[in-house]
Amino acid sequence: MALSGIEIYKFLPKTNCKKCGFPTCLAFAMKVAQKTVDIITCPDLSDESRQALESAGRPPIKLVSIGADGKKLEIGNEVVMFRHEKTFYHPPGIMRRIKDSSPAETVAQQVAEVTEFKVDRVGIELSLNGFAIENDSGDGAAFAKCVEAVMAKTDLPLVLMSSKPEAMAAALEKSAASRPLIYAATGDNWEPMAELASKHGCPLAVAEPKGLSELAALVEEVNKKGVEDIVLDPGARDLGSSLNTLTQLRRLAIKKNFQPLGYPIITFPGTNAASVDEEAVLASQQVAKYAGIIVLDNFSPALAYPLLTLRLNIYTDPQKPIQVQPGVYPIGAPKESSPLCVTTNFSLTYFSVAGELEGSGHAAWLLVCDTEGLSVLTAWAAGKFDAEKIAKNFKEFDVASKINHQRVIIPGRVAVLKGEIEEELAGWDVMVGPPDAMDIGGYLKNNWSN
Amino acid sequence: MSNFQVTFEPSGKSASVPGGTLILDAAARAGVLIDTPCGGQGRCGRCLVRVKDGEASHRDNPHLTPRQVEEGWVLSCTARVAGDLRLDVPRKRERERVVAETAASRTAQSIEGDWPRSPIIRRVFLKLTPPTLDDNANDLERLKAALAAEHQIDRLAVDLPVMRRLARDLREADWQVTLTLDMGEEEARLIDIHPGRKRGALLGAAVDIGTTNVVIQLVDLGSGKVLGQAAARNRQVSRGEDVISRIVYSERGNHLEELRKLVVETINELLSELGRKVDTDMAQVQEMVVAGNTTMTHLFLGLSPRHLRAEPYVPTAAFFPRYRAGELGVAINPLAPVYCLPAVAAYVGGDITAGVLASCLFKSDKLTLFLDVGTNGEIVLGSSDWMTTCACSAGPAFEGAGVRGGMRAMEGAIEEVKVNSKTLETTLSVIGGVPAQGICGSGMISALAEMFITGVVDRSGRIDMEFVKGRMKKRSRARRGDHGGEYVLAWARDTGLGEDIVLTEVDINNLVRTKAAIYAGEAVMARSLGISLSDVQEVLIGGAFGQHLNVEEAIQIGLLPDLPWERFKFLGNTSVRGAYNVLLSRFARAQVEEIASSLTYMELIADNTFMDELTGALFLPHTDIRNFPSVKALLEENQGERASP
Amino acid sequence: MPGVETPLEKWTGKVHEVTLGGNGRKSITVGGESTLPFLSFEAPIPHPPVVAIEVLDMEPQDWSPHLVSVWGDALKDPAVWAKKAVECGADLIVLRLRSAHPEAGDTGVDHAKKAVEAVLAAVDLPLIVLGPEVEEKDNEVLVGVSDVARGQKIALGNCSEKNHRTIAAVCLSDGHVAIGKSPIEINLAKQLNILLSDVGLAPESILMDPTTGALGYGLEYSYSVMERLRIAALMGDKMTAMPMLCTVGEESWRQKESRATEGLPPLWGDHQERAILWEEITAVSLLNSGADIVVLRHPRVVERIKATIASLVG
Repeated sequence: MALSGIEIYKFLPKTNCKKCGFPTCLAFAMKVAQKTVDIITCPDLSDESRQALESAGRPPIKLVSIGADGKKLEIGNEVVMFRHEKTFYHPPGIMRRIKDSSPAETVAQQVAEVTEFKVDRVGIELSLNGFAIENDSGDGAAFAKCVEAVMAKTDLPLVLMSSKPEAMAAALEKSAASRPLIYAATGDNWEPMAELASKHGCPLAVAEPKGLSELAALVEEVNKKGVEDIVLDPGARDLGSSLNTLTQLRRLAIKKNFQPLGYPIITFPGTNAASVDEEAVLASQQVAKYAGIIVLDNFSPALAYPLLTLRLNIYTDPQKPIQVQPGVYPIGAPKESSPLCVTTNFSLTYFSVAGELEGSGHAAWLLVCDTEGLSVLTAWAAGKFDAEKIAKNFKEFDVASKINHQRVIIPGRVAVLKGEIEEELAGWDVMVGPPDAMDIGGYLKNNWSN
Repeated sequence: MSNFQVTFEPSGKSASVPGGTLILDAAARAGVLIDTPCGGQGRCGRCLVRVKDGEASHRDNPHLTPRQVEEGWVLSCTARVAGDLRLDVPRKRERERVVAETAASRTAQSIEGDWPRSPIIRRVFLKLTPPTLDDNANDLERLKAALAAEHQIDRLAVDLPVMRRLARDLREADWQVTLTLDMGEEEARLIDIHPGRKRGALLGAAVDIGTTNVVIQLVDLGSGKVLGQAAARNRQVSRGEDVISRIVYSERGNHLEELRKLVVETINELLSELGRKVDTDMAQVQEMVVAGNTTMTHLFLGLSPRHLRAEPYVPTAAFFPRYRAGELGVAINPLAPVYCLPAVAAYVGGDITAGVLASCLFKSDKLTLFLDVGTNGEIVLGSSDWMTTCACSAGPAFEGAGVRGGMRAMEGAIEEVKVNSKTLETTLSVIGGVPAQGICGSGMISALAEMFITGVVDRSGRIDMEFVKGRMKKRSRARRGDHGGEYVLAWARDTGLGEDIVLTEVDINNLVRTKAAIYAGEAVMARSLGISLSDVQEVLIGGAFGQHLNVEEAIQIGLLPDLPWERFKFLGNTSVRGAYNVLLSRFARAQVEEIASSLTYMELIADNTFMDELTGALFLPHTDIRNFPSVKALLEENQGERASP
Repeated sequence: MPGVETPLEKWTGKVHEVTLGGNGRKSITVGGESTLPFLSFEAPIPHPPVVAIEVLDMEPQDWSPHLVSVWGDALKDPAVWAKKAVECGADLIVLRLRSAHPEAGDTGVDHAKKAVEAVLAAVDLPLIVLGPEVEEKDNEVLVGVSDVARGQKIALGNCSEKNHRTIAAVCLSDGHVAIGKSPIEINLAKQLNILLSDVGLAPESILMDPTTGALGYGLEYSYSVMERLRIAALMGDKMTAMPMLCTVGEESWRQKESRATEGLPPLWGDHQERAILWEEITAVSLLNSGADIVVLRHPRVVERIKATIASLVG
């Protein structure tokens, strides 16, 4: 259970010595509670306090990393059920399944399709995270060869899928250094699989579809063999069972602090899917509802792009102010002669201005300036909505090309900016709009004529 | 049920009514008129009568103090006949006295800091042996030797202006002088010399530089007595109403120097006003302590406040060295030290550390919420164990700006509004009892609370035109104006303006935004510490605004948390009070510095929680009415009333 | 072996039930859930979410060619369109009175009444009618629509914080359901529900539209706001417990990933597949965060989402 700032504060020396870099012990405690600074930064912490705080701060879901250094995929270490409670920290790894029974050219092509897939979205590169290589042939040598072939093309993290310990051993001989996830220990093979994981220091997936009690029991056995980095496969393969089972696992870890099931989860949305659409829908549910690794049977850019966009959305920090993408927005169906209004990119500011414009029936252009999600007055107060910045946004979004006039309406609350904006934007007539969005309709009616 | 006889004095009119009848109804039956500005809802406390004989059942009511209840006072709109009764209907003056008494019991409270008196300015008398040919030590050596021998003061600094007069002053005084010493640093500093044994008070000045108003107290450092107080509008107001406008203004040309001069002039004018009042030369003032928000302190010292408003909001300094009055242009003894109380952050300044000192929050064992509501709202939450603080840009609505009929709390300002639940007519209290000129902050809170409770405005602050028009058949106070809906508080003929005084929906919107900013600050701070606002054991309200604030109405609009009223205390101007404490005691000075370094500052706009809380608070009294159980109960009661007018 | 106890939450509240249609017309009830979406291990799901298909009262001018080709000439006539929507599996019809917008024809109340009457006559599914979202016009056309649909229990939208009294009043007098639409924010959604309740509407006569952000365009805001609304409802807050409606199709097909047909990077993949997945993924995400009604545009998405709901309900 996470401690609050005040609870952590009770363990601190309360000297406000500033040695931690924060002005007061309480300020430090609150940063520790937010997990933005480590408790050991306090040089005067007593041993008992440290122990108490460290055990209280243990993550309910273990952080597991897969892959070689530099290309590691980290999953787990989540602390909440719902993203609004804090944030989701580690996006699920999305991987493509490769079968060792496929011809070498097919494997090469499948790998290349994934490694070449890189899409830029709002400055962030979207791409897949690795490959799950399945020992479909049942043959150890073929498996090892396929693993080698994939590794020759990519250094992305791997999942090795085989129920046969010998085949797994063969593949690990070639790949253990890059720390693949071993999939999977089952009721039948868990002992040799656990030994392999221990021997090679690789994370191990534990698969047990019979039920969560059975899964927990198997995890404990594997645990006793010294394997600590574990990924769970509860065997849920369709929409309903995946949602229900993964929710239960998350609750057991987060709310009950049940350690035998406090590990990330691997899912296979394509196993029971009759179509690409069906796989896509299940995979997208699993992005939001608690998967740590999602292994796709089907890959295409048309599927990967929306799925990765969803992952980006869900794993965005919800504590950041809700922002609208800066830019010029058409409200209604504006013409070149329609009015141009300026506002900030705090979402509620945008919604109230856009809503009032829309509601008034006036078509207009709305220039939404980048104020880092602050409202008009706050942004002005913080120097993020001044003449210079507004002029910059004018140029960046090429406002002039959208309209055939040179009049711009600024929010009434920053009427003081009129003169300065007119200096920055030579030839423009800066009109001071009403201070309240709710007066925009009336303002345009009385003050705007073409 | 049998009937009882109810007699009203002094008229002697009476009526026979069944048990359980409201006294108000019994009065109507008897033909006695009792004024009910709120419409008989138990909200205004104006319909009180006193039981002389007999039985009346009454329920607890915030408008009567326990003593008044004991004296037999009841509200005729809530008390019921329970036997034969003889009642006294007070005259207007008597009634107003009782109402004022109730109000006073809820407001006039202040906490006295218990500081050992120990000013840093000392005055010592020295009788020197005049020099001779045998004893020809120089003047300064002679002075130092005497000081060491008689007062154990070993180190003395003497500034050039004093040095230049030293020889003459000593001789003209025939070697008997009174020295004024500044003991604030390691070595004593000689700041003034008087011939002979100086009588009369050793003077200091405590100054509160507010964004809107400047207040000075002239203090006798020996007795602690406040000899005089003067207040005036900060002359900087003409260059911007709030700190941000002033910071922006200061950034151009030589405006910084202009603003510095404006505030110094304001202070000097007040000093000369005080000088006239107490008939003293202000050059005799030997120390000044200044409390102001960080921006005001920067401007007073001539430091650029530019970096206060932009990320990462860093002041030039938070602890300010002492400067001499002469360097700052303040018209007291030019060598007198001027001490500015330390700040915590860009938006939590010396006025707040002063407030924490004056309110004694820093040594309270109760979880305490301290609010200073001015143009900015600053909040401190904590106790002797820990303290956190934050600032929210409340905006100047409560100070009368940004609202159409708004004005400061002065003569002619509406300070209280009652809306009759049945007729929706208004009853106003105007400061000074003159025709209304406008409405001040407390009047706005009162008006909004009453309009809300009576259903004139809905929970989003919009005027319910249909409802009002349905009630006010003759002449509706609700109408459409230039800014959407508006409600007439006073008709033109009843004002001193010759025009209607109204509250528009835009005004209401401004008020709601202001109260929401403050409540959200309170809520976020509590939440980020894992505390519920209902756990707060004491709420201390500072700032000039506090004295006029009606807690009940402030809770109804959701400005203050819904806590039992006895937990609220009004402290008045804690900023000048803190400066006063520091002026009189070096221990208080050490304490205020300790406060400044232990207050944990929270940046509200750093994350989304604030916006979330703010939007929740942009509703009457709040989106989550479960946080306001008393308001919820009142609304439910009134809903019944509304359904059956 | 350690027995793992099923981790159940002790929810005290539930989503209000809202019924549309009836009186000769098919009826549909949404809401009533006493757990988070589709958590059948925790509580039964009395009414699975439903799929509505959006029909416009005029031929859409700016729709993607993929939508235009699949609907064909039906787009020219709302009644024909609605019938085809029934064939595609719609549970109910959303009729958007686009033509009443001042910039899209500025048609009046008579046109709106005719369109509604035509759709009501053509299909027997429950109906939702949305105005052009221009206050004056909304109030004008929806009052007329309310009158012609009396007794059919349709839903009328959208009410906003500023403009809700007129629409709420006709819903109250004609026995319809009001839809409140608020910007993506939990408090604003709740505030509007309170205002609608204060005007006199019962909880079973209110639907809320907390505003849909499409995948890549604010989906995460909608997702969390809806999740929070549902959690608050389950914790006993009756003013957040109105069933939710999401305009998934409209928002998804408005984005450049769906709308633009040329000049896009090849790595964005096949245009039609991507556009369809964009709508599907938006829909399934919002269903998982608490949507009770999703309003869709593409028939293939309707089919997939219906199958998804069926599978989730089990």
